[in-house]
Amino acid sequence: MSGKKVGSTKSKILYIILYTFLILMALLYLLPLVWIALTSLKDDKTLFISPFAMPEKLMFENYTFAWTAGYLGKATLNSVFVCVITLLLSMIVGSMAAFAIGRMRWKFSGLAMTYFLTGMMIPVHCVLIPLFTKFAKVGLSNNLWGLILPYLTFSLPVTIFIMTGFFQGLPNELFESACIDGCSIYKSFTHIALPLSRTGLFVTGLMTFVANWNELLLAMVFISDDTKKTLPVSLSKFVGPYNTNYSQMFAAIVIAIVPTIIVYCVFSNQIVDGLTAGAVKG
Amino acid sequence: MKRKLLSVVLAAAMLTTVLAGCGGGSGDAGTNPSSDSGASSSSDSGAASGDVEEITWMFWDDLNATEDLISLGYKDVLDRFNTDYAGQYHVTAITTNLEEYYPKLNALVAANETPDVFIVSPGANLTDYVTPGVTADLTSILKDENPDWYASFSGGVFDKQTYDGKIYAIPTNMAAACVFYNTEIFEKAGASVPTTYDELLDACEKIQAAGYTPITISAGTAWCLSMLVGYLCDREGGPDNLDKINAGTGSWLDPSFIAAGEKMVELSQYFQKTAAGDTNDVATAAFYNEEAAMLIQGSWAIGQINGANPAFEDKCGVFQFPGIPGGADPNRIIAKTDSLAMSSKTEHKDACVALMKYFTDDTAQKYTAEVGGKIPITSVDVDYDKAPAQLKYVMDILSSTSGTLGFYNESFATSEAGAEFDNQMVSIYLGDQTVEEGFQKVQNFFEEEVWK
Amino acid sequence: MNKMMRDKKAILLFMAPAFILFTLVLFIPICQSVYYSFCDYDALTPPEFVGLKNYTKLLRDDTMKVALKNSLFFMIFSIVSQLICGLILAGLLTNIKKGRNLFKNIYYLPCVLSSAALGLLWMFIFSTKLGINQLLAMVGIEGPLWLMDTKGTIILPMKVIAFVALWQYVGQSMMLYMAQISSISTSLYEASYIDGCTKTKTFRYITLPLLRPMMATAMSLNAIGSLKFFDLVFNMTEGGPNHKTEVLATHLYTQGFKFFKYGYASAIGVVLLVLCLFVTFVINKYIKIDNYEM
Repeated sequence: MSGKKVGSTKSKILYIILYTFLILMALLYLLPLVWIALTSLKDDKTLFISPFAMPEKLMFENYTFAWTAGYLGKATLNSVFVCVITLLLSMIVGSMAAFAIGRMRWKFSGLAMTYFLTGMMIPVHCVLIPLFTKFAKVGLSNNLWGLILPYLTFSLPVTIFIMTGFFQGLPNELFESACIDGCSIYKSFTHIALPLSRTGLFVTGLMTFVANWNELLLAMVFISDDTKKTLPVSLSKFVGPYNTNYSQMFAAIVIAIVPTIIVYCVFSNQIVDGLTAGAVKG
Repeated sequence: MKRKLLSVVLAAAMLTTVLAGCGGGSGDAGTNPSSDSGASSSSDSGAASGDVEEITWMFWDDLNATEDLISLGYKDVLDRFNTDYAGQYHVTAITTNLEEYYPKLNALVAANETPDVFIVSPGANLTDYVTPGVTADLTSILKDENPDWYASFSGGVFDKQTYDGKIYAIPTNMAAACVFYNTEIFEKAGASVPTTYDELLDACEKIQAAGYTPITISAGTAWCLSMLVGYLCDREGGPDNLDKINAGTGSWLDPSFIAAGEKMVELSQYFQKTAAGDTNDVATAAFYNEEAAMLIQGSWAIGQINGANPAFEDKCGVFQFPGIPGGADPNRIIAKTDSLAMSSKTEHKDACVALMKYFTDDTAQKYTAEVGGKIPITSVDVDYDKAPAQLKYVMDILSSTSGTLGFYNESFATSEAGAEFDNQMVSIYLGDQTVEEGFQKVQNFFEEEVWK
Repeated sequence: MNKMMRDKKAILLFMAPAFILFTLVLFIPICQSVYYSFCDYDALTPPEFVGLKNYTKLLRDDTMKVALKNSLFFMIFSIVSQLICGLILAGLLTNIKKGRNLFKNIYYLPCVLSSAALGLLWMFIFSTKLGINQLLAMVGIEGPLWLMDTKGTIILPMKVIAFVALWQYVGQSMMLYMAQISSISTSLYEASYIDGCTKTKTFRYITLPLLRPMMATAMSLNAIGSLKFFDLVFNMTEGGPNHKTEVLATHLYTQGFKFFKYGYASAIGVVLLVLCLFVTFVINKYIKIDNYEM
């Protein structure tokens, strides 16, 4: 392990430079969060005079207003319901297809990949009207399942694309020896491919979750009922026709992102780093 | 064997979850009695009995999270309606924000779920819904069935809602565009309220010499700049300008348009330095924070100004946009109404009409003026002592006007034509093109897209 | 082994859910949208077939040219910058011991935040008198109109937006690379150290080649993502001034959802689709090595 070699002053300086760089970068990323938090404690007037100054008086009432007027509690539950189901289904359905495309041998695997890829290339605006009219016919408008289905489908291409890459990257010998041991194709999927691609699953799951957690347009158009609205829709409630309640919107944003960040940190540390710590030596 | 079983169970589980997704969805819809009538289920009353007629009303602001006084007034109207008609009618609001409003409305129309009553801007937007027959003809409802209601409206408020003599929407309130000014700065600079364009230039000169920004305007929000050009165009050429353009007989290269463009460029030396990038919010803030002397804006800004800086109300004056010597009638004013349209496919016409009446009854209209700071569209008695001071000034100006015109960008056949006008004006202001080049581009656009 | 991997029934079973869902929810609407691109359609009245009219109009549309130029600039910039910055960050972070998780989580943060909030933040930072220009004014420099300047082929606002996009999404590329690095077998690294390789050499000769499939994946994702890019442009400039910062997706949105020309917007969508397919094809042809062996 290289740790023992880090005795020389040269590498010490290198480490100092490295960490300074990383910390400066981190500031570039953290300051916006600080700004959002500070803004959420101001009123709109001071925001326009000096957007980067400290708030003179802490306006905690922004938070109570955001919470009650925006129905954030119910909206959070709806968002969690929609995003978690989408996340689970997309990981299962996506990695199954990715395994068939990336690992199994059949004539049309390349074609199937291209087919799924087209889904990534069409902006959601193009399919909004056809999708909505169809969903309205089968009673899926104003229904949370009417959001889960498109979310799931829109996240399939990325999931399949990335997971295919991961499955292709797995060493052949693993599957060969499994085959010799008499392992079925299903078991080699669940017992070999999936566990070895856990980091991939985590990353795709994260991307799916984040994309759906912030999705606004579909949610806005598909859901009319106040009790079924998701978080991004609730956040946009503070945008008025002529002017916006910025500070209250930012309070709502803070309420909306804090759980995401906590969940993300907990999971990422447990899943990814449990693995990387053992895997990466350097 | 064991492993095979496991994989089969796993695969089956996956499939059932997916299928359950679809099944659960359609099952939900089956139990929702209102889904086929085009109305969405009620949210707050929940146990709506079969006798209650459920209608929907669509609006571009959330009624709970908003601070907009007009939106809060609408919430009052709905609450009063639901209380007074409890057991008979019930209205549920469908709200989005303005950005997603028309996309959602169109999606609902396309899916045959048009809301029973919805708000819409008059002009190109309303035309979009009138032409394909989405909105109901309200003429006989107003004139024959409810003559008292029709008589309660002020004269001329239906102009922008009338197509071929048929009325397609009910106005709920009006806003007029004027010049708001800081009386204190005017006094310090020794400037007087201008009534002509030359006096306006003179006032700007004096204010600049006194160290203030004469005019705060936003080119970052294109329609703000275009509103100024709209006024200049009208002062130069009068109502003929717009009429001819819309009839397809006029030309954007007409000297009166070019002269209006040049006057905008001339005035632009008195704009705040950052006008090119400032958004409407920022430009308005410069006015109520007393950095700039004049703001050309619709009267909806009154609420924003007084809300952000209550102490400023006493110093804020209003005057009519000055006339141009040798130009046209200087007494016309740019006005805009919010309007309600009714779906032509609604099955609850009576409930819809009852609801629309609530928007224009005395309580609602008094609120519009005294709290909302907008101009009522009926001849209700308003207590101006309760209303914001600026509203009285606006009303005085309005009473002496000879006619109203819409925003230029909302007065053309399509909203795209309006956006084109806005954009070319911004480009002229930024110095990317000359006045002639800019209007030539507008002319090209109209030749290709509008007058074909 | 081969027989197992050719099991038709298993392939069918694995593919079926994704295939059915995708076809029903996405592919059929896409086909409908392609059909609309040959129609005059405003969603309020039934579509009316007009043949290639929308496409011939695209060729004459000046805004389309600007949007295409901006989108291509945006794509090239993000492919290159995300590749370089993402790899550097991933390389650095896998090589430090203390605070790796912390830094990784921090760099990923903006991906979690809503674009509306971030767009607003950057709008303040690049606004005419607050933010950066306020700082510049302190040292006596008059800052440019960051979001309104219209000079040059690639105008300043586009560069500003491209920079913000890099800032926001580099965490995503970094995560992808780190995930792939973590699946590289430890024994390879141990062997290379025993052979006396330095860290830089190990990165150059072991990590990089093994990362190539992921590089192709990440680059394709970046290319497609940047061609479709919408949020930040819309929140920071809305395509203005006078369409100068329009990209394909905002042009599509404006035409379809502001002016209700869904037919025309669909035609833009089809162009976007073809462009994406082409770029993905090129990237995969030249970067990816199929079935690399350990």
